[in-house]
Parts: sequence; structure tokens; C-alpha cells
Amino acid sequence: MSYYFAIIGTQDNPLFEYEFGTAKQGGDGVARFPEQARHMNQFIVHSSLDIVEEAQWAQGQMYFKCIDRFYNNYVSCFMTGGNVKFLLLHAPSQPAIANTSRASTSIAANPTSPQTEEAIKQFFTEVYENWVKTIMSPFYHVNMEVKSPVFRSRVAAAGKKYL
Amino acid sequence: MTSPDNATTPEPTAPSPLRMPKQRAPPDAQSIASSVSTLPYRASNASVSSLFASTSTPTGSRSASPSGARPTPSRMPSSSVFGGTPGEGQQLPPSEYSDDPRNLILQAFVPHIAVHSSADTEELVKDKGFNGGLWELLRPFGERVHGKVTVRDSIGSGKTWEDYAVRFVQLGDGLETPEARKSQDGKGSALNGNPPGGSDLASKRSRTGGNISQIESLVDRHLNYTEEFPNINAEDYLNFKNGQLRNLESTSPFYTLFLRRVLSGIPLAPHETFSHPVACVIAISSRNANPIEALRNLYTESSNGPKKLPVWVNNEYLRYYVLVHDEERDDITKSMTLFDQMKRHFGLHCHLLRLRSSNCVATDDDSVQLPRCQWISASEELAEIQAREMQEDVEDSHPCIYESDMTAIKTFIREMVTQSVIPSMERCVSTWNDQVASRRRGISGRFISLSKKWTGFGVSSRNSSGAGVGTGSSSSNYDMSQGFYRPDAPEAVMRKLADYSFMLRDWRLAQSTYELLRSDFNNDKAWKYHAAANEMAAISTLLIPQAISSKVRSETVDRMLETASYSYITRCGASYGALRSLALGMELLRLRGGSATDDAARWGSKLLEYKLVGAIGDVLIKERVSVCYSSKKGLGSELWGARTRKSALWSVQAADSWLTLGKLQQSKQRLEEVSEKYSSLPYPDSISKFLLANDFLQGLQREVQLALYPASAIETPGGMDLIDTTIGEESEAFDSRPHRRSLMGATAPALASLGSAPLHGTLMEGEEETAPTIQFE
Repeated sequence: MSYYFAIIGTQDNPLFEYEFGTAKQGGDGVARFPEQARHMNQFIVHSSLDIVEEAQWAQGQMYFKCIDRFYNNYVSCFMTGGNVKFLLLHAPSQPAIANTSRASTSIAANPTSPQTEEAIKQFFTEVYENWVKTIMSPFYHVNMEVKSPVFRSRVAAAGKKYL
Repeated sequence: MTSPDNATTPEPTAPSPLRMPKQRAPPDAQSIASSVSTLPYRASNASVSSLFASTSTPTGSRSASPSGARPTPSRMPSSSVFGGTPGEGQQLPPSEYSDDPRNLILQAFVPHIAVHSSADTEELVKDKGFNGGLWELLRPFGERVHGKVTVRDSIGSGKTWEDYAVRFVQLGDGLETPEARKSQDGKGSALNGNPPGGSDLASKRSRTGGNISQIESLVDRHLNYTEEFPNINAEDYLNFKNGQLRNLESTSPFYTLFLRRVLSGIPLAPHETFSHPVACVIAISSRNANPIEALRNLYTESSNGPKKLPVWVNNEYLRYYVLVHDEERDDITKSMTLFDQMKRHFGLHCHLLRLRSSNCVATDDDSVQLPRCQWISASEELAEIQAREMQEDVEDSHPCIYESDMTAIKTFIREMVTQSVIPSMERCVSTWNDQVASRRRGISGRFISLSKKWTGFGVSSRNSSGAGVGTGSSSSNYDMSQGFYRPDAPEAVMRKLADYSFMLRDWRLAQSTYELLRSDFNNDKAWKYHAAANEMAAISTLLIPQAISSKVRSETVDRMLETASYSYITRCGASYGALRSLALGMELLRLRGGSATDDAARWGSKLLEYKLVGAIGDVLIKERVSVCYSSKKGLGSELWGARTRKSALWSVQAADSWLTLGKLQQSKQRLEEVSEKYSSLPYPDSISKFLLANDFLQGLQREVQLALYPASAIETPGGMDLIDTTIGEESEAFDSRPHRRSLMGATAPALASLGSAPLHGTLMEGEEETAPTIQFE
């Protein structure tokens, strides 16, 4: 499973982007997106904002679970208090359709299972805590890109821990 | 000679002098000619281009919406400079115009009327210059029955239709090739009817539709033609300035063509009865020496002779007897006596058709061109295009007929449809409804189906072969080994009832009957029947003009489409059926608006995931998904709930695929849509902040630009230097973009000024060349 994590500001602008792979089940934590299609992640995440903007009025939680799908790419969303969105695109390494029949519990194989949802929730929560700490910096303005290497390493750690 | 068709074409005569200067037809003849065909678009000099011209406006004759008329590749630019643009007067009121796919469905599932004529009739028609026989002469006129047609539905209330159509086929047309059937069902059927012999075979097969790859290669032909004449195409943007760009929802003409070809030539198959003949025209001519005997022979030939249709076709369809009178060689009084005799023998279903037998040429006084057929199968059209391309002669050799003949044929068709075909269909519907369907709808009917489910276990039906399976002899009427129901089995009759009521546009009755059949076929494990019943149940549910809540929709329509596509693909391997059901479901859901458009887009992407179509179809469906998303309108100033970004994503996908296929014009159009969509967002061009995506988009735009206008790279070297501009500069570039788009026809004031300028292709090219500099500045 490969992941693309993006934090989207209030004007649909990306504040932070990070690609990583699964670290579970012997994964090496490297994203396996095809090189010639890496731009698709951004397109997909950007287009999912349409769904996010609709879902945000329908749900009370900050975590929206899996809200969108484009071919074999699933998008989960977490809405922060300041209308900044965390979007996680997860692409299982093999097509999910083949796996729906057998009840696989592994996160990598089954992108919509409760286990996966829970893992992504934990990931989002941890990132959110770090995010709040980061943007409390007095030099940070709204919709400014976050370039802090500390934040990036913490996101990486969270990804390794849960996904 | 007046024609009600004129209402749709208020100014049909205007372009005609340009089209064919040598032909001076009386005005009324002209009006009929142009109202039933797309004559004004036809170039006079090249026969091949005329073929494309008439078909690349597929919304064509009746509903010439601006979108359909837009890419008309006419060879003569002058034709649209003078006398008003051909498309303009034909705009339909918005309600009708937005229903385009719905009209397409109405026109696709229409009663099929077989034509079976004697050798002497064929000869007479051949003298007129039609080698295909009487059928070829009748076919174009069946696509629009002249005048209004009133149909009574099951509760007895009449409804009048302006656009009723029937399809004329030759008796025995539409049979699938044995190999195709074998691969689809896993079993070849010896009962598939006698194979038609010899040279006739190839042309017969070509009239059977349902071949996806052929449909795609046909669309490819049309696309290539548009690519070849891009300047004219670009100019049409200016002529039809209120066309595509303003209305992002409009149907691409190529998609319409695709859908139309998917729906034309529905194969004759056991699991659905749309292409089973509703009636059969049995025709003899006045040249026949022994007329009554000939008619009897033709009848027996059609019912149990060599022309008999396969056993699963109900043989008790209406026979309609026609006497073709030769106006030039034969005596009318003799024909009248014969006709009276026919009436005595065969009852009321008779007609005397008076035709002139000599060949009509375009220079004749009252000649009119035979309207082009809209509903021919893909392979037939491909063959026609190929034949035209081989031809040296550049004259448009489309056959002509005399105006008097045309009137006679129109009257004949109208009389037959309104007085014989439709009443007999209505009668069948009410009989079957009373005798078969309502028995099933009651409590006892439910009990029967229950008891059927719990007894028998389907073993006996598997063992018994064709002869043993009669009504009630086993637990199931379904013949497992052959894969069909006998036409007298209640299930088959109900399917026919449902299809008849669908063709009579009584969707409620059709829907409730399909609903009953769904469970029956499921119990019998008749998977292809099951799939087809689910498909039509979904379509008729969506055609009923009644709001469906999203919850009900997901319980009924979604489930039916799901079952239909699953059964078609997994259980039967019939990708054509799956494609048809999903494409139609998508179109109808899209028309419902609101949250249904999301469903529509979902089915569209499912269709892509199933990989039912090839490269061309794939892109067309991508485009369509984009249209589905863009047809969801947002609320308020912020456009809450719109799907602009989604739609843009799919447009990018389509543009990318068009570029890969080398269809630059299409790619360019999609990219223009993309930039328009992205800049219409509340935060315009937010995609440009995503580096990789932005690079990709810019690269795509540059590639298309370079491929279309190679000179622009040399003339504006700055364009190449600016590849790695920073983000800040990019966002400035986007501010200047509205200006560029205005050249392409988005905003009215700029266009008004451009419209008054001389319309030359060179002007357009000049504008295009300046575009990249503005864009990358």
C-alpha cells in the first residue's frame, strides 16, 4: 500500500505533502506510485475537495473516513478546526475488488475495512497534534506552506507507526 | 404539399442554393427534403465528406441542438456566412433539448417491422436504383413516422407522440453470428434458424449491431475526419458561438454517435424481444402474374418456410400485405381490382403503394434525395464509408426518389403504423396483461412462484431437452440446454408484454412487468434473461417521469444495474449488454440531476473499470463522466456541492488520452474546458499550486499546442524558455487568461466584435499562435 498525505489550506492550496509506503508486513516504507503518474495523486486529492466540502456539513466528527475513490485510489479526510483539511490517499498494491470477498484484516489489502479506518484515524490524530504544535509558531501565518523538518519527521513517524 | 416537419426547420431553403446550384426544385419539395434529413450541411462536391457531415451531426434531423450542429465539417465555408447559420433556427426549447439521451432511447427501442417482398417487387425497386429491395426504400422513412401517433396505455388513456418511429428490417436480419452466440452463451444452438445463404450472408450480418470494436472504429473514422479539417472546425466555433463552450453539459457529437451506434441494430436474441418483428410487410408488385398465390407463398415462407425465424421468436406477429403498383408500366384499374381482391382475402391489413418505376436522378424536376438513415449499424456505416472512399467519382451519389413516391411511402407508413401496427400491439399488451401478467400479480400468482421455487430443484429441466419442455411439464419453463424459453411459455410472453409496452412508451406497465420477471428469471437461473430484465427494469424506472428519492434509487435502480452488469459480464460474458445497460443508466441518472449525477458518474467509472470498451470508447466515457460531474449544479455563490474539480479531473484524463490517440482537436477542446473549469472555482486555479499536477497540465497544453501548430514553437521562442517558471509567475499568467479564452468564444462582447470580422481560417490560426505567449508570460 502506498500513501500520499496532503494538508490543504483554506484556499485549496497545499500546505504540506508527503508520500510514503506501508511499514507493516515487511514493507519498507517507500511509496510505490508509478513515476509517470505521480501527478495523479495531486489531481485526485484536489478533486476530492468537492466531496470534502459536501461531507463537512453532513458529519459531526472531524474524521470523515474514506470519502472518495478514483479507480484504485481511496481518499480519507480529516477536518481540522481552522478549515484545514488532511487528506490521505491510499492505494492498495493489488486491486481491492479481488479482496472484498475474503475478509482480510490487513490494512494494506483492504482499504475500507474498519481496521484500516481505525489505523488512519490514529494516524490523523497524531498528525493533528503535531500540526497544532507546529502552527502555533509565532512566525506562521494562515495558508503558509509548512516546511519544518521536525514536522515532516513526525508525520513520517506516525505513518510508520500506524500505517 | 405541406409538412408539419417544417416547424423544426423554419429556414431550410436558405443554404440549399449553395449546396446544389444546378438543382432547382420547387420550394415545397425542398422543404420536405431538408426537414427529414440534414441536407443543408452536406457539401456538394465530395461524396465521402457528405457521409461524415451527415453523421457527425448525429442529433441530426429532428433535434438539431447547437451542440450537435457545432462540429459540422462542411467543405464550403461560405455556406454558413450567408443566409444564417444552419443550426440556428433549429434550436429546440430547453426542456426538449436537454433530454437528448432520453430521445435517443425512445428512438432506439422501437417496433421492428420485417419486410419480405417477392422477386418482382425487388426488380421494380431495382429499376428505381435501389439494390437492397423495398426494405431499403422504406427504411429511412420509418425513422420518423409522419405526423402524430396516438398510443393508448394499459389504463386506456391516450398519449400523443410527435416523434414515433419504427424500424424496417429485412426478414431474418439481426441474427447474431453463430460464433458470437456460441462464445456468449457457451452453447451453439441448432435451432438458431436456417442460415441465410451465400452472398446475402455478409450483408445481413453487417446489419447486426452490437459489435463494440466496430462501433469504436467507426467513431475513430469520424474523429479522424474532424482532425483532417481542423480549420473548418475551429471556424465553426465562431459560427455556432452559443454552442459548446457556454454549455459544458452538451453532448459531444462523437459520444452521441457512439451511443447511437450502440443502440442501433440490436441483435435478434432470445433474451429480449425488441428486435423480434412486431409485424411483417409482405409485398408483391403489380408485375406479378399470380398475385394472391405469391402472397400466400411469401406468407408460408415467413412462417414455416426457409425464412422462418428461430424457434424462440414468437411467430404470431402481424402480417401486412402490400401491393406495389408500378405507375409507369401497369394499369391502375387492374391493380385496384387486385387490391380489392387482396382485401377480401386478407382483411384490413392491406395497402396499395403506388410508385414510379423509373430511376430518378438528381436533375429531375421533382426529385428529392432519399433521407439518410440515422439508425444503421456500425459495420454497415463503415462499409459505406469504405465504399465511398474507394469510389473515384466525387459526385455525391446518394440516391434520389420522386417526390410523389416519397409522399406515397410516408402515407403508407403512417397508415400502417397508426391503423395496424400500434392497434395490434395494444391488443397484444392488453390480452397478455389480462391473461398472463395479472394472474401472476395476484396472491395466487405469488403462491405459484413460491411453490415453483421449493419443488423440483431444477433437475428435471436440465435433463429434458427441447421437445420435452412445455408449459407446466416441469418445474421450470427455461430450457437449460438450449438457453431459451419457448415463445409460448408465460415468462416469454411476459417479456414480450414488457417489451411491447416499453416500445409503446408505457413505462409503468413495462417496469412492473420487468419487476415480476426479474425474480422469475433469477429462480430459473436464466442469467441472460435475468440480466436483460434487470437492465430494462432500471431503464424503465428511470424513464417514468417521477421523482425518486436517493434512498429508493440506491435500493432499486442501483441494485438492478449492478445485477444486470454482473450477470452480463460474469455469467454470460456479454459485454455489449453490460455496456448498453450501464451507458443508458448513466445517461438517465445524469438527467435526473442532484445527487443522481454522482451515481451517474459512479456508473461511468465502473464502466471504465470493467474494461468493456476499447481505447476510443474509454476516452468517450471519460469525457462523459466529466460531463456527469459538471452537470451537478452548486448552490449559492460559493457553488456548494458542485463537482467542478471532479469534472476537471476527468477532463484532464480525457485530454491526456486523446493526445495519446493523436486526436489533437479533441484534446485541445478538453484542455480548454479544463482551464475554464479550474478558473471558475471559488479559488481560481488552485490546481496550479500543486507542482506536479500543474507541470503535467502545462506540459499537456504545450504538447497539444506544438502538435497542432508546429510553427508557434519557432515564432515564439519565449514559450520554450518559460517551462520552469516559478509558481508566483504562473499565478500571474492565469490572471491574463480570461482574455485568451474570450478569443475562443466564452464571453459575448469579444465574440461580437470577432463575429463581424471576416471569417478566415488564417485568422483563427493567427489567434492560436499568440496564445502560448500570453499563457506563459
